[in-house]
Amino acid sequence: MGKMITVENVCKSFGTLEVLKNINLEVQKGEVLCIIGPSGSGKSTLLRCLNHLEVITSGKVMIEDELLAEKVNGKDQFKISHKKVSEICAELGMVFQRFNLFPHLTTIQNIIEATITVKKVPKQEAINYGMELLKMVGLEDKKDEYPVRLSGGQQQRVAIARALAMKPKIMLFDEPTSALDPELVGEVLEVMKQLARDGMTMIVVTHEMGFAREVGTRVIFMDKGEISEEGLPDEIFSNPKNERTKAFLQKIL
Amino acid sequence: MIHVFSFFPRLLQGALITIQLTIVAIIFGVIFGLLLALGRLSKNKIVNKFSWLYIWFFRGTPLLMQLYFIYYGVPMLFDPPLKYSAWVACYIAFSLNSAAYLAEIIRAAIQSIDKGQMEAAKALGMSYGQAMRRIIVPQSYRRLIPPVGNEFIMLVKDTSLVSIVAMPDLMRVTHEIESVQANAAIYLPSAIIYLAITTVCTVAFEKLEKKYSVYE
Repeated sequence: MGKMITVENVCKSFGTLEVLKNINLEVQKGEVLCIIGPSGSGKSTLLRCLNHLEVITSGKVMIEDELLAEKVNGKDQFKISHKKVSEICAELGMVFQRFNLFPHLTTIQNIIEATITVKKVPKQEAINYGMELLKMVGLEDKKDEYPVRLSGGQQQRVAIARALAMKPKIMLFDEPTSALDPELVGEVLEVMKQLARDGMTMIVVTHEMGFAREVGTRVIFMDKGEISEEGLPDEIFSNPKNERTKAFLQKIL
Repeated sequence: MIHVFSFFPRLLQGALITIQLTIVAIIFGVIFGLLLALGRLSKNKIVNKFSWLYIWFFRGTPLLMQLYFIYYGVPMLFDPPLKYSAWVACYIAFSLNSAAYLAEIIRAAIQSIDKGQMEAAKALGMSYGQAMRRIIVPQSYRRLIPPVGNEFIMLVKDTSLVSIVAMPDLMRVTHEIESVQANAAIYLPSAIIYLAITTVCTVAFEKLEKKYSVYE
């Protein structure tokens, strides 16, 4: 077991709005951490602080044993180059709610783009690995299609393959099925379950309670920028201790 | 009336200059305009301010005045006075001017690209430069085509201003023929040539737009 992510006393504000209040969190290798909670509770912001899409206001974020951000009252406590940030963030793959595939590139081009430009993998090698990933998500026959020609579920599976192409150690999922038609949710969750079985460290912000319960190794309930409850999925779903967790689960289940 | 059409070959020579000037101005305009657009989007204060001032100046003063200034004014700033031809002055003036307009067109196109694209590129470890080069700017091409087509057509017609510094462009040639022949009907074949040029542009840009629409 190794520590993959360390979050210490992290606060994040947008102007005067406090979105994250003193968050502490550790994620171990191989964990599937599910973050649930009402919208506006700071789930996505927390996730985005982990790969530097948002910059924390104060606290500390470490990826493995590398310091990504350390701030006190918005002031950096150390100097970090853009290059170093990119290097650290390359360890984290991210899947977005709205897929964010590159519309001007075909499926296979989407997957190999960053491996070639960032990781400098030779093109043929990148294509071979990309095709392997496409096979894994069941879309090898769509390699030359543009994203616009794919369904939402297919786009999201390509997005997962694109993130995996960078060979990340950790995968972040930001509500990966929230923008999908109900009948397309299953195919995306199936790919995510496969990843979990293969031992990938995953942090999943989700409203899919079934997934959290079945695949999650730990669940965090966030509310108003704080972690108000944390535990094994069975504990949280069958026997929530916090009043706010109870109220939330009652509404959603 | 019919006889004015016999001047077609001479008019076409003028048209060639019009076309050359337009193409040079649009090429330099796009390159320099892209840099200015990136400058306007930059967080670097000096670069940003410079781009803003440049666009402010070249959009805010008449093109004809810029042309005069570059042809007559700038050489006088040197001692001994700099010497360059009307050709050079026209190329410079039109390139600098169209860069200012194209910069704003390009900036608008870049800013219209969904923010999620930059985020996805960054999440994949790309630097700002890589993301711009490989992801954002290529996506802006299709959105650039209609307004750049518009700018191109405006430029074809605006180049007629160079007749004033004795450049033998289509306008100037037409005017010369009119003076010698004392026949204003010469403007008719000349207008037909302008229309032909702009028609070719219109069709070409429509084709280009279709070609880049495959993924939208």
